[in-house]
Amino acid sequence: MTTTVPASVDDHHHQHDHRPRRSRNRWLWLAFGTIGVAAIFALRAYTGELESVGVPGLTADLLTLATSVIIESLPFVVLGILLSIVVQAWLPDDLLMRYLPQSPVLRRAAISLFGIALPVCECGNVPLARGLILKGFSVPESMTFLLAAPIINPITIVTTHQAFGFDDGILVGRILGGLAIANIVGWLFSLHPQPNAILTGRFAQQCAVGSHGPRQSRTEKSLDIFMRESSVLMPAVFIGSLIAGAIQVAVPRDVLVTLGSNPLWSILAMMALAFVISVCSSVDAFFILPFASTFMPGSIVTFLVFGPIIDIKMLAIMRTTFTAKVLLQLSLVVALMSAFIGLVINYVV
Amino acid sequence: MWSSLQRWWGVILILVAVSATVWLGATQQLVLYIHPRYVVFTVVMAALALVMGVLSLAIRPANTEEAVAPRGWSRVVGGVALLLSGAVALSLVLVPPTTLSSATASQRDIVGSTVGSDSQNVDEVENADDELIASFTVVDWSSLLRQTSDPSFYSNKTADVVGFITASEDDPANIFYLSRFTVTCCAVDAQPTGLAVYAPDWANDFEVDAWVEITGSFEVNPSSRSDLPLVLVPETMTGVERPSEPYLY
Repeated sequence: MTTTVPASVDDHHHQHDHRPRRSRNRWLWLAFGTIGVAAIFALRAYTGELESVGVPGLTADLLTLATSVIIESLPFVVLGILLSIVVQAWLPDDLLMRYLPQSPVLRRAAISLFGIALPVCECGNVPLARGLILKGFSVPESMTFLLAAPIINPITIVTTHQAFGFDDGILVGRILGGLAIANIVGWLFSLHPQPNAILTGRFAQQCAVGSHGPRQSRTEKSLDIFMRESSVLMPAVFIGSLIAGAIQVAVPRDVLVTLGSNPLWSILAMMALAFVISVCSSVDAFFILPFASTFMPGSIVTFLVFGPIIDIKMLAIMRTTFTAKVLLQLSLVVALMSAFIGLVINYVV
Repeated sequence: MWSSLQRWWGVILILVAVSATVWLGATQQLVLYIHPRYVVFTVVMAALALVMGVLSLAIRPANTEEAVAPRGWSRVVGGVALLLSGAVALSLVLVPPTTLSSATASQRDIVGSTVGSDSQNVDEVENADDELIASFTVVDWSSLLRQTSDPSFYSNKTADVVGFITASEDDPANIFYLSRFTVTCCAVDAQPTGLAVYAPDWANDFEVDAWVEITGSFEVNPSSRSDLPLVLVPETMTGVERPSEPYLY
Protein backbone atom coordinates (compact mmCIF):
# COMPACT_ATOMS: atom_id res chain seq x y z
CA MET A 1 0.00 0.00 0.00
CA THR A 2 2.62 2.50 1.11
CA THR A 3 4.58 2.03 -2.05
CA THR A 4 1.68 2.21 -4.48
CA VAL A 5 0.02 5.38 -3.23
CA PRO A 6 2.96 7.74 -3.74
CA ALA A 7 3.59 6.16 -7.11
CA SER A 8 0.08 6.92 -8.33
CA VAL A 9 0.22 10.45 -6.97
CA ASP A 10 3.49 10.93 -8.75
CA ASP A 11 1.93 9.59 -11.89
CA HIS A 12 -0.87 12.10 -11.56
CA HIS A 13 1.55 15.01 -11.29
CA HIS A 14 3.55 13.67 -14.13
CA GLN A 15 0.52 13.77 -16.42
CA HIS A 16 -0.44 17.30 -15.41
CA ASP A 17 2.99 18.79 -15.70
CA HIS A 18 3.58 17.68 -19.22
CA ARG A 19 0.20 18.36 -20.78
CA PRO A 20 1.43 20.97 -23.28
CA ARG A 21 4.39 18.87 -24.30
CA ARG A 22 2.17 15.83 -24.64
CA SER A 23 -0.17 17.60 -27.02
CA ARG A 24 2.80 18.87 -29.04
CA ASN A 25 4.00 15.28 -29.18
CA ARG A 26 0.65 14.25 -30.51
CA TRP A 27 1.07 16.42 -33.60
CA LEU A 28 4.55 15.04 -34.02
CA TRP A 29 3.32 11.44 -33.82
CA LEU A 30 0.37 12.21 -36.10
CA ALA A 31 2.90 13.44 -38.65
CA PHE A 32 5.02 10.31 -38.15
CA GLY A 33 1.99 8.09 -38.61
CA THR A 34 0.85 9.88 -41.75
CA ILE A 35 4.34 9.78 -43.23
CA GLY A 36 4.61 6.08 -42.37
CA VAL A 37 1.32 5.28 -44.10
CA ALA A 38 2.32 7.41 -47.09
CA ALA A 39 5.58 5.47 -47.27
CA ILE A 40 3.69 2.16 -47.32
CA PHE A 41 1.52 3.49 -50.15
CA ALA A 42 4.54 4.71 -52.12
CA LEU A 43 6.36 1.40 -51.72
CA ARG A 44 3.22 -0.51 -52.70
CA ALA A 45 2.64 1.70 -55.75
CA TYR A 46 6.25 1.07 -56.81
CA THR A 47 6.27 -2.72 -56.28
CA GLY A 48 2.77 -3.04 -57.75
CA GLU A 49 4.11 -1.95 -61.13
CA LEU A 50 6.82 -4.61 -61.22
CA GLU A 51 6.24 -7.48 -63.62
CA SER A 52 7.05 -10.14 -61.05
CA VAL A 53 9.50 -10.60 -58.23
CA GLY A 54 10.48 -14.09 -59.31
CA VAL A 55 8.06 -16.04 -57.13
CA PRO A 56 7.33 -19.46 -58.74
CA GLY A 57 3.77 -20.53 -59.64
CA LEU A 58 2.62 -22.47 -56.59
CA THR A 59 4.23 -20.09 -54.08
CA ALA A 60 2.67 -17.15 -55.89
CA ASP A 61 -0.71 -18.92 -55.68
CA LEU A 62 -0.15 -19.61 -51.98
CA LEU A 63 0.42 -15.88 -51.41
CA THR A 64 -2.58 -14.98 -53.59
CA LEU A 65 -4.79 -17.34 -51.57
CA ALA A 66 -3.46 -16.08 -48.23
CA THR A 67 -3.95 -12.47 -49.35
CA SER A 68 -7.46 -13.34 -50.45
CA VAL A 69 -8.33 -14.76 -47.02
CA ILE A 70 -6.85 -11.66 -45.33
CA ILE A 71 -8.66 -9.17 -47.57
CA GLU A 72 -11.92 -11.08 -47.30
CA SER A 73 -11.84 -11.28 -43.48
CA LEU A 74 -10.23 -7.90 -42.72
CA PRO A 75 -13.39 -5.75 -43.01
CA PHE A 76 -15.21 -8.12 -40.66
CA VAL A 77 -12.33 -8.06 -38.17
CA VAL A 78 -12.39 -4.25 -38.23
CA LEU A 79 -16.18 -4.22 -37.80
CA GLY A 80 -15.83 -6.61 -34.87
CA ILE A 81 -13.21 -4.41 -33.18
CA LEU A 82 -15.40 -1.33 -33.69
CA LEU A 83 -18.45 -3.05 -32.17
CA SER A 84 -16.30 -4.28 -29.30
CA ILE A 85 -15.19 -0.68 -28.70
CA VAL A 86 -18.82 0.45 -28.67
CA VAL A 87 -19.77 -2.26 -26.15
CA GLN A 88 -16.77 -1.65 -23.87
CA ALA A 89 -16.30 2.11 -24.00
CA TRP A 90 -19.59 3.71 -25.04
CA LEU A 91 -22.49 1.57 -23.75
CA PRO A 92 -23.52 1.85 -20.07
CA ASP A 93 -22.05 -1.04 -18.08
CA ASP A 94 -25.29 -2.76 -17.21
CA LEU A 95 -27.30 -2.15 -20.38
CA LEU A 96 -26.93 -5.69 -21.70
CA MET A 97 -27.22 -7.32 -18.29
CA ARG A 98 -30.33 -5.50 -17.12
CA TYR A 99 -32.87 -7.28 -19.29
CA LEU A 100 -31.44 -10.80 -19.29
CA PRO A 101 -33.38 -13.61 -17.56
CA GLN A 102 -32.02 -14.94 -14.26
CA SER A 103 -32.00 -18.66 -15.01
CA PRO A 104 -28.67 -19.66 -16.62
CA VAL A 105 -30.29 -21.76 -19.36
CA LEU A 106 -32.69 -18.98 -20.41
CA ARG A 107 -29.87 -16.44 -20.15
CA ARG A 108 -27.74 -18.40 -22.57
CA ALA A 109 -30.72 -18.91 -24.88
CA ALA A 110 -31.28 -15.14 -24.94
CA ILE A 111 -27.58 -14.49 -25.47
CA SER A 112 -27.45 -16.92 -28.38
CA LEU A 113 -30.01 -14.70 -30.11
CA PHE A 114 -27.93 -11.51 -29.67
CA GLY A 115 -26.30 -12.14 -33.01
CA ILE A 116 -29.48 -11.17 -34.88
CA ALA A 117 -28.66 -7.54 -34.17
CA LEU A 118 -24.94 -7.82 -34.90
CA PRO A 119 -23.71 -8.17 -38.47
CA VAL A 120 -20.34 -9.72 -37.55
CA CYS A 121 -18.91 -12.97 -38.80
CA GLU A 122 -16.78 -15.27 -36.70
CA CYS A 123 -13.49 -13.38 -36.94
CA GLY A 124 -15.12 -10.16 -35.78
CA ASN A 125 -16.92 -12.06 -33.07
CA VAL A 126 -13.87 -12.91 -31.04
CA PRO A 127 -13.06 -9.29 -30.10
CA LEU A 128 -16.74 -8.78 -29.32
CA ALA A 129 -16.91 -11.88 -27.12
CA ARG A 130 -13.75 -10.75 -25.33
CA GLY A 131 -15.42 -7.39 -24.77
CA LEU A 132 -18.47 -9.13 -23.31
CA ILE A 133 -16.33 -11.11 -20.84
CA LEU A 134 -14.68 -7.86 -19.74
CA LYS A 135 -18.17 -6.41 -19.32
CA GLY A 136 -19.09 -9.14 -16.86
CA PHE A 137 -20.49 -11.98 -18.93
CA SER A 138 -19.51 -15.40 -17.60
CA VAL A 139 -17.14 -17.38 -19.80
CA PRO A 140 -19.74 -20.02 -20.87
CA GLU A 141 -22.20 -17.23 -21.72
CA SER A 142 -19.77 -15.45 -23.97
CA MET A 143 -18.87 -18.78 -25.54
CA THR A 144 -22.54 -19.31 -26.39
CA PHE A 145 -22.52 -15.89 -28.01
CA LEU A 146 -19.26 -16.63 -29.84
CA LEU A 147 -20.66 -19.83 -31.36
CA ALA A 148 -24.17 -18.65 -32.22
CA ALA A 149 -23.63 -15.11 -33.48
CA PRO A 150 -21.73 -15.88 -36.73
CA ILE A 151 -24.56 -18.19 -37.86
CA ILE A 152 -27.51 -16.16 -36.64
CA ASN A 153 -26.18 -12.81 -37.88
CA PRO A 154 -28.35 -10.99 -40.45
CA ILE A 155 -25.74 -10.95 -43.25
CA THR A 156 -25.19 -14.69 -42.94
CA ILE A 157 -28.92 -15.41 -43.04
CA VAL A 158 -29.42 -13.18 -46.09
CA THR A 159 -26.47 -14.64 -48.03
CA THR A 160 -27.48 -18.21 -47.17
CA HIS A 161 -31.00 -17.44 -48.34
CA GLN A 162 -29.68 -15.85 -51.56
CA ALA A 163 -27.58 -18.92 -52.24
CA PHE A 164 -29.99 -21.71 -51.31
CA GLY A 165 -33.46 -20.23 -50.75
CA PHE A 166 -35.46 -22.61 -48.60
CA ASP A 167 -34.35 -25.67 -50.59
CA ASP A 168 -33.69 -28.94 -48.78
CA GLY A 169 -33.91 -27.39 -45.31
CA ILE A 170 -30.38 -25.98 -45.65
CA LEU A 171 -31.16 -22.51 -44.26
CA VAL A 172 -33.40 -23.79 -41.45
CA GLY A 173 -30.94 -26.58 -40.63
CA ARG A 174 -28.13 -24.07 -40.41
CA ILE A 175 -29.93 -21.65 -38.08
CA LEU A 176 -31.42 -24.28 -35.75
CA GLY A 177 -28.25 -26.37 -35.78
CA GLY A 178 -26.10 -23.37 -34.91
CA LEU A 179 -28.38 -22.33 -32.04
CA ALA A 180 -28.50 -25.87 -30.66
CA ILE A 181 -24.72 -26.29 -30.75
CA ALA A 182 -24.12 -22.89 -29.11
CA ASN A 183 -26.52 -23.57 -26.25
CA ILE A 184 -25.34 -27.11 -25.63
CA VAL A 185 -21.66 -26.12 -25.69
CA GLY A 186 -22.41 -23.19 -23.36
CA TRP A 187 -24.15 -25.60 -20.97
CA LEU A 188 -21.25 -28.08 -21.13
CA PHE A 189 -18.69 -25.42 -20.25
CA SER A 190 -20.92 -24.04 -17.49
CA LEU A 191 -20.39 -27.41 -15.77
CA HIS A 192 -16.68 -26.57 -15.52
CA PRO A 193 -15.85 -25.95 -11.83
CA GLN A 194 -13.71 -22.87 -12.60
CA PRO A 195 -14.82 -21.27 -15.86
CA ASN A 196 -12.04 -18.66 -15.74
CA ALA A 197 -9.46 -21.47 -15.93
CA ILE A 198 -10.36 -22.01 -19.59
CA LEU A 199 -9.04 -18.55 -20.49
CA THR A 200 -5.43 -17.97 -21.49
CA GLY A 201 -3.21 -16.43 -18.81
CA ARG A 202 -2.80 -13.13 -20.62
CA PHE A 203 -6.50 -12.58 -21.15
CA ALA A 204 -7.51 -13.76 -17.65
CA GLN A 205 -5.06 -11.22 -16.26
CA GLN A 206 -6.61 -8.52 -18.42
CA CYS A 207 -10.05 -9.45 -17.03
CA ALA A 208 -8.75 -9.31 -13.47
CA VAL A 209 -7.22 -5.88 -13.99
CA GLY A 210 -10.51 -4.71 -15.50
CA SER A 211 -11.14 -1.01 -15.18
CA HIS A 212 -8.66 -0.40 -12.38
CA GLY A 213 -6.00 0.89 -14.75
CA PRO A 214 -5.14 4.57 -15.19
CA ARG A 215 -8.03 6.90 -15.99
CA GLN A 216 -8.58 7.38 -19.67
CA SER A 217 -10.89 9.56 -21.71
CA ARG A 218 -13.35 7.67 -23.89
CA THR A 219 -11.34 8.41 -27.02
CA GLU A 220 -8.18 7.15 -25.36
CA LYS A 221 -9.98 4.07 -24.10
CA SER A 222 -11.40 3.38 -27.57
CA LEU A 223 -7.97 3.64 -29.17
CA ASP A 224 -6.47 1.53 -26.40
CA ILE A 225 -9.00 -1.21 -27.18
CA PHE A 226 -8.28 -0.82 -30.89
CA MET A 227 -4.55 -1.30 -30.27
CA ARG A 228 -4.99 -4.21 -27.91
CA GLU A 229 -7.46 -6.10 -30.08
CA SER A 230 -5.46 -5.59 -33.26
CA SER A 231 -2.21 -6.67 -31.59
CA VAL A 232 -3.93 -9.86 -30.49
CA LEU A 233 -5.96 -10.58 -33.64
CA MET A 234 -3.87 -9.41 -36.59
CA PRO A 235 -0.95 -11.85 -36.13
CA ALA A 236 -3.53 -14.65 -35.78
CA VAL A 237 -5.34 -13.57 -38.97
CA PHE A 238 -2.06 -13.33 -40.89
CA ILE A 239 -0.66 -16.66 -39.73
CA GLY A 240 -4.03 -18.44 -40.06
CA SER A 241 -4.39 -17.26 -43.68
CA LEU A 242 -0.85 -18.32 -44.49
CA ILE A 243 -1.51 -21.84 -43.19
CA ALA A 244 -4.91 -22.01 -44.91
CA GLY A 245 -3.29 -20.95 -48.22
CA ALA A 246 -0.47 -23.48 -47.85
CA ILE A 247 -2.84 -26.37 -47.19
CA GLN A 248 -5.05 -25.45 -50.13
CA VAL A 249 -2.04 -25.51 -52.44
CA ALA A 250 -0.87 -28.83 -51.00
CA VAL A 251 -4.15 -30.82 -50.91
CA PRO A 252 -5.75 -31.40 -54.35
CA ARG A 253 -9.36 -30.21 -54.32
CA ASP A 254 -10.67 -33.27 -56.21
CA VAL A 255 -9.60 -35.55 -53.36
CA LEU A 256 -12.32 -33.94 -51.25
CA VAL A 257 -14.87 -33.73 -54.06
CA THR A 258 -14.65 -37.42 -55.00
CA LEU A 259 -15.81 -38.26 -51.48
CA GLY A 260 -18.92 -36.13 -51.98
CA SER A 261 -21.64 -38.61 -52.88
CA ASN A 262 -21.45 -40.94 -49.86
CA PRO A 263 -23.72 -39.82 -46.95
CA LEU A 264 -21.05 -40.35 -44.29
CA TRP A 265 -17.86 -39.59 -46.22
CA SER A 266 -19.32 -36.46 -47.76
CA ILE A 267 -19.94 -35.10 -44.26
CA LEU A 268 -16.35 -35.76 -43.21
CA ALA A 269 -15.09 -34.28 -46.49
CA MET A 270 -17.19 -31.16 -45.92
CA MET A 271 -15.84 -30.69 -42.42
CA ALA A 272 -12.30 -31.07 -43.75
CA LEU A 273 -13.06 -28.52 -46.47
CA ALA A 274 -14.60 -26.06 -44.00
CA PHE A 275 -11.61 -26.48 -41.70
CA VAL A 276 -9.09 -25.80 -44.46
CA ILE A 277 -10.87 -23.03 -46.35
CA SER A 278 -11.39 -20.64 -43.40
CA VAL A 279 -13.77 -18.20 -45.12
CA CYS A 280 -16.08 -16.02 -43.02
CA SER A 281 -19.61 -17.19 -42.25
CA SER A 282 -21.14 -14.17 -43.98
CA VAL A 283 -19.84 -15.33 -47.36
CA ASP A 284 -19.40 -19.07 -47.02
CA ALA A 285 -22.81 -19.88 -48.53
CA PHE A 286 -21.61 -18.49 -51.87
CA PHE A 287 -18.41 -20.42 -51.45
CA ILE A 288 -20.18 -23.76 -51.10
CA LEU A 289 -22.83 -23.08 -53.77
CA PRO A 290 -20.76 -24.52 -56.68
CA PHE A 291 -20.42 -27.76 -54.69
CA ALA A 292 -24.15 -28.05 -54.03
CA SER A 293 -24.71 -30.41 -56.94
CA THR A 294 -21.86 -32.69 -55.84
CA PHE A 295 -22.63 -32.94 -52.15
CA MET A 296 -25.74 -34.02 -50.26
CA PRO A 297 -27.81 -31.29 -48.51
CA GLY A 298 -26.99 -32.56 -45.00
CA SER A 299 -23.29 -32.32 -45.80
CA ILE A 300 -23.77 -28.71 -46.95
CA VAL A 301 -25.47 -27.95 -43.62
CA THR A 302 -22.52 -29.56 -41.80
CA PHE A 303 -20.17 -27.28 -43.74
CA LEU A 304 -22.30 -24.22 -42.93
CA VAL A 305 -22.56 -25.06 -39.22
CA PHE A 306 -19.04 -26.37 -38.57
CA GLY A 307 -17.12 -23.83 -40.69
CA PRO A 308 -18.16 -20.67 -38.81
CA ILE A 309 -17.11 -22.17 -35.48
CA ILE A 310 -14.02 -24.26 -36.20
CA ASP A 311 -11.43 -23.66 -38.89
CA ILE A 312 -7.70 -23.00 -39.09
CA LYS A 313 -7.97 -19.23 -38.95
CA MET A 314 -10.59 -19.35 -36.18
CA LEU A 315 -8.48 -21.67 -34.01
CA ALA A 316 -5.55 -19.27 -34.37
CA ILE A 317 -7.79 -16.35 -33.37
CA MET A 318 -9.55 -18.16 -30.51
CA ARG A 319 -6.21 -19.31 -29.11
CA THR A 320 -5.73 -15.67 -28.09
CA THR A 321 -8.53 -16.13 -25.56
CA PHE A 322 -8.96 -19.82 -24.68
CA THR A 323 -6.44 -22.49 -23.71
CA ALA A 324 -5.38 -25.17 -26.20
CA LYS A 325 -7.12 -27.91 -24.22
CA VAL A 326 -10.44 -26.07 -24.35
CA LEU A 327 -10.11 -25.55 -28.11
CA LEU A 328 -9.49 -29.27 -28.57
CA GLN A 329 -12.60 -30.16 -26.53
CA LEU A 330 -14.60 -27.49 -28.36
CA SER A 331 -13.51 -28.76 -31.81
CA LEU A 332 -14.41 -32.32 -30.88
CA VAL A 333 -17.85 -31.48 -29.48
CA VAL A 334 -18.75 -29.16 -32.37
CA ALA A 335 -17.48 -31.67 -34.96
CA LEU A 336 -19.58 -34.48 -33.48
CA MET A 337 -22.69 -32.34 -33.21
CA SER A 338 -22.50 -30.84 -36.68
CA ALA A 339 -21.80 -34.27 -38.18
CA PHE A 340 -24.87 -35.56 -36.34
CA ILE A 341 -27.05 -32.72 -37.69
CA GLY A 342 -25.76 -33.39 -41.21
CA LEU A 343 -26.41 -37.12 -40.95
CA VAL A 344 -29.98 -36.56 -39.76
CA ILE A 345 -30.67 -34.27 -42.72
CA ASN A 346 -28.94 -36.62 -45.19
CA TYR A 347 -31.05 -39.58 -44.14
CA VAL A 348 -34.34 -37.83 -43.39
CA VAL A 349 -34.74 -35.20 -46.13
CA MET B 1 11.57 -2.99 -26.22
CA TRP B 2 9.83 -6.38 -26.51
CA SER B 3 6.66 -5.26 -24.76
CA SER B 4 6.32 -2.03 -26.73
CA LEU B 5 6.92 -3.92 -29.98
CA GLN B 6 4.21 -6.36 -28.95
CA ARG B 7 1.91 -3.49 -28.08
CA TRP B 8 2.40 -1.72 -31.43
CA TRP B 9 2.79 -4.76 -33.66
CA GLY B 10 -0.97 -5.15 -34.25
CA VAL B 11 -1.35 -1.51 -35.25
CA ILE B 12 1.59 -1.86 -37.66
CA LEU B 13 0.11 -5.03 -39.18
CA ILE B 14 -3.37 -3.57 -39.52
CA LEU B 15 -1.96 -0.39 -41.09
CA VAL B 16 0.00 -2.44 -43.62
CA ALA B 17 -3.01 -4.64 -44.42
CA VAL B 18 -5.49 -1.79 -44.84
CA SER B 19 -3.02 0.34 -46.80
CA ALA B 20 -2.54 -2.56 -49.19
CA THR B 21 -6.33 -2.98 -49.39
CA VAL B 22 -6.99 0.69 -50.05
CA TRP B 23 -4.28 0.75 -52.71
CA LEU B 24 -5.82 -2.31 -54.40
CA GLY B 25 -9.19 -0.58 -54.25
CA ALA B 26 -7.79 2.67 -55.69
CA THR B 27 -6.13 0.82 -58.58
CA GLN B 28 -9.26 -1.33 -59.10
CA GLN B 29 -7.42 -4.55 -58.41
CA LEU B 30 -9.46 -5.73 -55.41
CA VAL B 31 -11.36 -7.99 -57.83
CA LEU B 32 -8.22 -10.11 -58.05
CA TYR B 33 -9.01 -11.28 -54.52
CA ILE B 34 -12.72 -10.81 -53.78
CA HIS B 35 -16.07 -10.73 -55.60
CA PRO B 36 -17.00 -7.19 -56.79
CA ARG B 37 -20.03 -7.11 -54.48
CA TYR B 38 -17.73 -6.85 -51.42
CA VAL B 39 -15.49 -4.10 -52.78
CA VAL B 40 -17.30 -1.07 -51.31
CA PHE B 41 -17.72 -2.63 -47.85
CA THR B 42 -14.07 -3.70 -47.80
CA VAL B 43 -12.76 -0.26 -48.78
CA VAL B 44 -14.99 1.56 -46.26
CA MET B 45 -13.91 -0.66 -43.36
CA ALA B 46 -10.26 -0.40 -44.44
CA ALA B 47 -10.48 3.40 -44.51
CA LEU B 48 -11.98 3.41 -40.98
CA ALA B 49 -9.19 1.18 -39.70
CA LEU B 50 -6.61 3.41 -41.41
CA VAL B 51 -7.95 6.46 -39.53
CA MET B 52 -8.09 4.56 -36.21
CA GLY B 53 -4.56 3.26 -36.70
CA VAL B 54 -3.03 6.66 -37.41
CA LEU B 55 -5.01 8.24 -34.56
CA SER B 56 -3.80 5.64 -32.08
CA LEU B 57 -0.24 6.41 -33.17
CA ALA B 58 -0.89 10.11 -32.58
CA ILE B 59 -2.70 9.83 -29.23
CA ARG B 60 -0.75 6.84 -27.88
CA PRO B 61 -3.24 5.86 -25.16
CA ALA B 62 -1.70 4.96 -21.82
CA ASN B 63 -1.08 1.25 -21.41
CA THR B 64 -3.60 -0.32 -19.01
CA GLU B 65 -2.02 -3.72 -19.18
CA GLU B 66 0.93 -4.70 -17.03
CA ALA B 67 3.79 -5.80 -19.18
CA VAL B 68 4.85 -9.39 -18.67
CA ALA B 69 8.20 -10.34 -20.09
CA PRO B 70 7.72 -13.70 -21.84
CA ARG B 71 10.08 -16.49 -20.84
CA GLY B 72 11.29 -19.75 -22.32
CA TRP B 73 8.99 -21.36 -24.87
CA SER B 74 6.42 -18.60 -24.94
CA ARG B 75 9.22 -16.26 -25.99
CA VAL B 76 10.13 -18.59 -28.88
CA VAL B 77 6.50 -18.95 -29.96
CA GLY B 78 6.03 -15.20 -29.74
CA GLY B 79 9.16 -14.64 -31.83
CA VAL B 80 8.05 -17.10 -34.52
CA ALA B 81 4.58 -15.50 -34.65
CA LEU B 82 6.23 -12.10 -35.01
CA LEU B 83 8.47 -13.29 -37.87
CA LEU B 84 5.69 -15.14 -39.73
CA SER B 85 3.16 -12.33 -39.51
CA GLY B 86 5.88 -9.86 -40.46
CA ALA B 87 6.71 -11.95 -43.53
CA VAL B 88 3.05 -12.01 -44.59
CA ALA B 89 2.87 -8.23 -44.07
CA LEU B 90 5.95 -7.75 -46.26
CA SER B 91 4.45 -9.93 -48.98
CA LEU B 92 1.30 -7.78 -48.89
CA VAL B 93 3.41 -4.74 -49.76
CA LEU B 94 6.15 -6.23 -51.92
CA VAL B 95 4.60 -8.93 -54.11
CA PRO B 96 2.83 -7.51 -57.19
CA PRO B 97 -0.88 -8.42 -57.17
CA THR B 98 -1.68 -11.29 -59.47
CA THR B 99 -4.32 -13.87 -60.34
CA LEU B 100 -4.21 -17.52 -59.49
CA SER B 101 -2.12 -19.41 -62.02
CA SER B 102 -2.47 -22.59 -64.05
CA ALA B 103 -0.71 -24.46 -61.22
CA THR B 104 -3.86 -24.08 -59.12
CA ALA B 105 -6.15 -24.60 -62.12
CA SER B 106 -4.75 -28.06 -62.85
CA GLN B 107 -4.80 -28.93 -59.14
CA ARG B 108 -8.52 -28.13 -58.94
CA ASP B 109 -9.87 -30.57 -61.55
CA ILE B 110 -10.27 -28.43 -64.63
CA VAL B 111 -12.01 -31.09 -66.74
CA GLY B 112 -14.55 -32.41 -64.25
CA SER B 113 -15.50 -28.94 -63.04
CA THR B 114 -19.24 -28.40 -62.93
CA VAL B 115 -19.10 -24.64 -62.43
CA GLY B 116 -21.88 -22.78 -64.20
CA SER B 117 -23.23 -26.08 -65.47
CA ASP B 118 -26.54 -24.40 -66.21
CA SER B 119 -25.17 -21.11 -67.54
CA GLN B 120 -26.39 -21.96 -71.06
CA ASN B 121 -29.05 -24.37 -72.22
CA VAL B 122 -28.67 -26.41 -75.42
CA ASP B 123 -32.29 -25.94 -76.52
CA GLU B 124 -32.16 -22.18 -76.15
CA VAL B 125 -28.79 -21.84 -77.88
CA GLU B 126 -29.79 -24.08 -80.83
CA ASN B 127 -30.97 -21.16 -82.97
CA ALA B 128 -29.30 -18.25 -81.19
CA ASP B 129 -28.01 -15.33 -83.27
CA ASP B 130 -24.31 -14.69 -83.88
CA GLU B 131 -24.19 -11.73 -81.54
CA LEU B 132 -25.25 -13.82 -78.55
CA ILE B 133 -22.88 -16.63 -79.48
CA ALA B 134 -19.98 -14.20 -79.81
CA SER B 135 -20.57 -13.14 -76.19
CA PHE B 136 -20.18 -16.68 -74.85
CA THR B 137 -17.34 -17.20 -72.37
CA VAL B 138 -15.26 -20.25 -71.61
CA VAL B 139 -17.82 -21.18 -68.94
CA ASP B 140 -20.78 -20.92 -71.35
CA TRP B 141 -19.11 -23.15 -73.94
CA SER B 142 -18.01 -25.77 -71.46
CA SER B 143 -21.53 -25.91 -70.04
CA LEU B 144 -22.81 -26.59 -73.57
CA LEU B 145 -20.09 -29.19 -74.18
CA ARG B 146 -21.19 -31.04 -71.06
CA GLN B 147 -24.74 -31.17 -72.36
CA THR B 148 -24.07 -32.32 -75.92
CA SER B 149 -21.08 -33.50 -77.89
CA ASP B 150 -22.98 -33.73 -81.17
CA PRO B 151 -20.71 -32.06 -83.79
CA SER B 152 -23.65 -30.81 -85.87
CA PHE B 153 -24.83 -28.65 -82.97
CA TYR B 154 -21.58 -26.67 -83.14
CA SER B 155 -21.13 -26.72 -86.93
CA ASN B 156 -22.40 -23.20 -87.68
CA LYS B 157 -21.22 -21.53 -84.47
CA THR B 158 -17.96 -19.60 -84.13
CA ALA B 159 -16.50 -19.19 -80.68
CA ASP B 160 -14.58 -16.06 -79.66
CA VAL B 161 -13.09 -16.61 -76.21
CA VAL B 162 -10.37 -15.28 -73.93
CA GLY B 163 -8.52 -17.26 -71.27
CA PHE B 164 -5.14 -18.40 -70.01
CA ILE B 165 -3.26 -21.52 -71.04
CA THR B 166 -3.18 -24.58 -68.78
CA ALA B 167 -1.26 -27.59 -70.08
CA SER B 168 -3.10 -30.82 -70.80
CA GLU B 169 -1.81 -34.04 -69.31
CA ASP B 170 -3.05 -36.41 -72.02
CA ASP B 171 -1.55 -34.78 -75.10
CA PRO B 172 0.61 -31.88 -73.96
CA ALA B 173 2.17 -31.29 -77.40
CA ASN B 174 -1.09 -30.68 -79.28
CA ILE B 175 -3.76 -29.81 -76.74
CA PHE B 176 -4.03 -27.20 -74.00
CA TYR B 177 -6.90 -25.90 -71.91
CA LEU B 178 -8.06 -22.35 -72.44
CA SER B 179 -9.10 -21.67 -68.87
CA ARG B 180 -10.82 -19.17 -66.62
CA PHE B 181 -11.51 -19.15 -62.91
CA THR B 182 -15.05 -18.57 -61.65
CA VAL B 183 -15.33 -16.79 -58.30
CA THR B 184 -18.43 -16.80 -56.10
CA CYS B 185 -16.95 -15.19 -52.97
CA CYS B 186 -13.21 -14.68 -53.19
CA ALA B 187 -10.12 -16.12 -54.84
CA VAL B 188 -10.15 -18.85 -52.21
CA ASP B 189 -13.10 -20.57 -53.89
CA ALA B 190 -11.97 -19.97 -57.49
CA GLN B 191 -13.14 -22.87 -59.63
CA PRO B 192 -11.31 -23.44 -62.92
CA THR B 193 -13.12 -24.23 -66.16
CA GLY B 194 -11.31 -25.05 -69.36
CA LEU B 195 -11.97 -25.61 -73.07
CA ALA B 196 -9.70 -28.14 -74.77
CA VAL B 197 -7.94 -26.40 -77.69
CA TYR B 198 -6.27 -28.40 -80.45
CA ALA B 199 -3.24 -26.44 -81.63
CA PRO B 200 -0.23 -28.60 -82.60
CA ASP B 201 3.07 -27.23 -81.26
CA TRP B 202 1.34 -24.41 -79.42
CA ALA B 203 4.26 -24.28 -77.02
CA ASN B 204 6.44 -22.73 -79.77
CA ASP B 205 4.38 -19.57 -79.73
CA PHE B 206 2.86 -19.36 -76.25
CA GLU B 207 3.79 -20.14 -72.69
CA VAL B 208 1.71 -21.77 -69.98
CA ASP B 209 -0.24 -19.06 -68.08
CA ALA B 210 -0.20 -16.70 -71.09
CA TRP B 211 -3.52 -14.99 -71.87
CA VAL B 212 -4.80 -15.59 -75.41
CA GLU B 213 -7.88 -14.79 -77.49
CA ILE B 214 -9.05 -17.56 -79.78
CA THR B 215 -11.65 -17.58 -82.54
CA GLY B 216 -12.52 -20.94 -83.97
CA SER B 217 -15.03 -23.75 -84.06
CA PHE B 218 -15.58 -27.02 -82.25
CA GLU B 219 -14.64 -30.13 -84.19
CA VAL B 220 -14.15 -33.82 -83.58
CA ASN B 221 -10.94 -34.35 -81.63
CA PRO B 222 -8.14 -35.33 -84.05
CA SER B 223 -5.78 -36.31 -81.25
CA SER B 224 -5.41 -40.03 -80.66
CA ARG B 225 -3.98 -39.61 -77.18
CA SER B 226 -6.85 -37.66 -75.67
CA ASP B 227 -10.34 -39.10 -75.26
CA LEU B 228 -12.28 -35.82 -75.33
CA PRO B 229 -14.96 -35.99 -78.07
CA LEU B 230 -14.78 -32.36 -79.24
CA VAL B 231 -12.03 -29.75 -79.20
CA LEU B 232 -11.81 -26.09 -80.16
CA VAL B 233 -9.78 -25.71 -83.35
CA PRO B 234 -8.50 -22.12 -83.62
CA GLU B 235 -8.66 -20.04 -86.79
CA THR B 236 -6.88 -17.18 -85.09
CA MET B 237 -4.97 -17.22 -81.84
CA THR B 238 -3.45 -14.01 -80.48
CA GLY B 239 -1.75 -13.13 -77.22
CA VAL B 240 -3.65 -10.54 -75.18
CA GLU B 241 -3.18 -8.59 -71.94
CA ARG B 242 -4.71 -10.06 -68.79
CA PRO B 243 -8.30 -8.69 -68.64
CA SER B 244 -8.95 -6.16 -65.87
CA GLU B 245 -11.51 -8.58 -64.44
CA PRO B 246 -9.68 -11.89 -64.86
CA TYR B 247 -12.27 -13.94 -62.98
CA LEU B 248 -15.80 -14.73 -64.14
CA TYR B 249 -18.72 -14.42 -61.72
